[in-house]
Amino acid sequence: MNAHRSSLRSFALSLPAIIAIAPFLGACFYIFRFSVSGESGVISGYSLQAYFDLAEPFFLRSVWVTVKLAALSTLVVLILSVPIALVIASVRTALVRRLLTVTILLPMILNLLIQSYGWIILLGPSGVLNTTLRETGLISRPILLLFNETGVLLGLIQTAIPLAVFPILSATRVISREYLEAASSLGAGNWRVFYDVILPLLKPGLVSAASIVFAYNASAFAVPLLLGGRRVQMLGVAIRDMISPLFNWSGAAAAGMVLIVITTGVLLLAAALINRSARTPKPSEVSEPLQSGGGA
Amino acid sequence: MSTDLKIEGVSKNYGSVSALRDIDMSVERGSFLCLLGPSGCGKTTLLRIIAGFEQATAGRLLLDGTDVSGVPPHKRGFGMVFQSLALFPHMSVAQNIAYGLKLRGIDKARQRDRVEELLNVIELPTIADRPVAALSGGQRQRVAIARALAVQPKLFLLDEPLSALDAKLRENMQIELRQLQRKFGVTTVLVTHDQTEAMMLADQLVIMDHGVIRQSGAPSEVYRAPADAFVADFLGTANVVQGEVMEDGAVMFLGMRAQDKALQVQGAKVEVAIRAENIGVVEKGSPERSTLGRVEFVRDLGPSVESIIAVGEEKLRVRSRASEVTSLSAGQQVGLKIDPELCSFFSR
Repeated sequence: MNAHRSSLRSFALSLPAIIAIAPFLGACFYIFRFSVSGESGVISGYSLQAYFDLAEPFFLRSVWVTVKLAALSTLVVLILSVPIALVIASVRTALVRRLLTVTILLPMILNLLIQSYGWIILLGPSGVLNTTLRETGLISRPILLLFNETGVLLGLIQTAIPLAVFPILSATRVISREYLEAASSLGAGNWRVFYDVILPLLKPGLVSAASIVFAYNASAFAVPLLLGGRRVQMLGVAIRDMISPLFNWSGAAAAGMVLIVITTGVLLLAAALINRSARTPKPSEVSEPLQSGGGA
Repeated sequence: MSTDLKIEGVSKNYGSVSALRDIDMSVERGSFLCLLGPSGCGKTTLLRIIAGFEQATAGRLLLDGTDVSGVPPHKRGFGMVFQSLALFPHMSVAQNIAYGLKLRGIDKARQRDRVEELLNVIELPTIADRPVAALSGGQRQRVAIARALAVQPKLFLLDEPLSALDAKLRENMQIELRQLQRKFGVTTVLVTHDQTEAMMLADQLVIMDHGVIRQSGAPSEVYRAPADAFVADFLGTANVVQGEVMEDGAVMFLGMRAQDKALQVQGAKVEVAIRAENIGVVEKGSPERSTLGRVEFVRDLGPSVESIIAVGEEKLRVRSRASEVTSLSAGQQVGLKIDPELCSFFSR
């Protein structure tokens, strides 16, 4: 009776989530169906031809560029986000804290198109950076920072920083000042405290930040299109090209499935990493709630 | 291994707020000093200055005669137990205890031996591989102490480490802590607001209030001869009542006269501190009585009887042994026996 009512209640509570996710799952299924279609323009019959067609250098290079740029940007974003999160966590004044938070959130608020044009103004051949360098006589010909992988990487890093800062910031909550002081009193200098105490305690936050950033950047479309031009064919751009000039719908669907499999694989790996590293004892082993560790 | 500590003229200001004023204190090699005071008295700030987590605005810290004021905490070689214990949640018990040894570059085998030795000392030989979260409060306490002592600290610092434990466990831990400290012979400074704990542990008691030291000395000495009314009131249950010095030098208080040679100022107001256990309750007609009072409240605690007895305007807390008082009831008139020799007199 009770169990029945509580399961009914959990179903009711998860209804909004189910409604939100249903169209997405439907689309995924539709894409999957299209990818195994016998014809490239409409869904009819079954064939794995679209997948076999993907096994050519152009598409494989696209997969490689996508994984490489997503992984590199994830690494750089994490390295940049840890100090940002630690600084925000250490700020005591509410106003300063809020200002910092809003600044970090800015890339989420601004349209990707506007941000990409911002990068073009800064880094383009006649942009701010190149003009300044030329006028100071440091270079004679403009450095190419746009319409290549460097430009795309910069854009991916910049737009994904807020996605990493906030999970890491929430992970800093378990680190009390007394942990750091305890390590220090036992003989650890600042770097050792960072490696031995701060980083391990941030690990769950780091892993979730990494998986969000990787998934977000692997499926990026606007940034590679605007900052990479046609030269940097990340999967998002490649899929669009299959649809729009080529009308190869089943090929695009198959490429989409490949992207979904890659990102899902990375997310599952991250989840496994969290479970293995968290070292959290099973609830039955815990005799008392965890130490709160709040400073005096 | 252990050292002595001298604190000379230490002050600490936060902006215009002064948290510590001109603290002088010394801790002898191997002795146990308790900093005792109400919350906000500066005791924790003083401990944090000793540990190196805060910098004193003025003054010096001498360790065996060497000034260590400028040395960062990780180079001081002290062991500290924190109020929250601060055991690293991502490490096992053994990793926690061995952490300081690892930082000192001691090899794995010797680390293991030392951890085993310490776990035996704290009588928890089987918990080495458990995660910290799986320990009980008392076990965590012992592990935190073992971690701080593993590195053979020059100074052992404790910041209200027992405050999170329940009363019974706390008493046991106090005894254990004292025994451990003796065994390791380490110079120790402990901060507490619990006067029973301080009396139980300390060789030397330092009573602080509002950033200054009010009195320092052996616990029994401070208890028997408090320097002022604050100390008398803070340590144990004391009644502080108003008195007046008469022309002949006697002090009038609670309607009784006491001859006191220390105070010869005529007409001056004084404060008289009388411990609850130093007030005897006798028959109202007894020749032993020094003054009369009216019982307002009685409760029998088993070994002792606590009562509140009104004498004129003053209300006295009285603690009598159960065998001495047969029957006390509210509203009853009683005689009180107060020995001026056991009272402390402070001029105001």
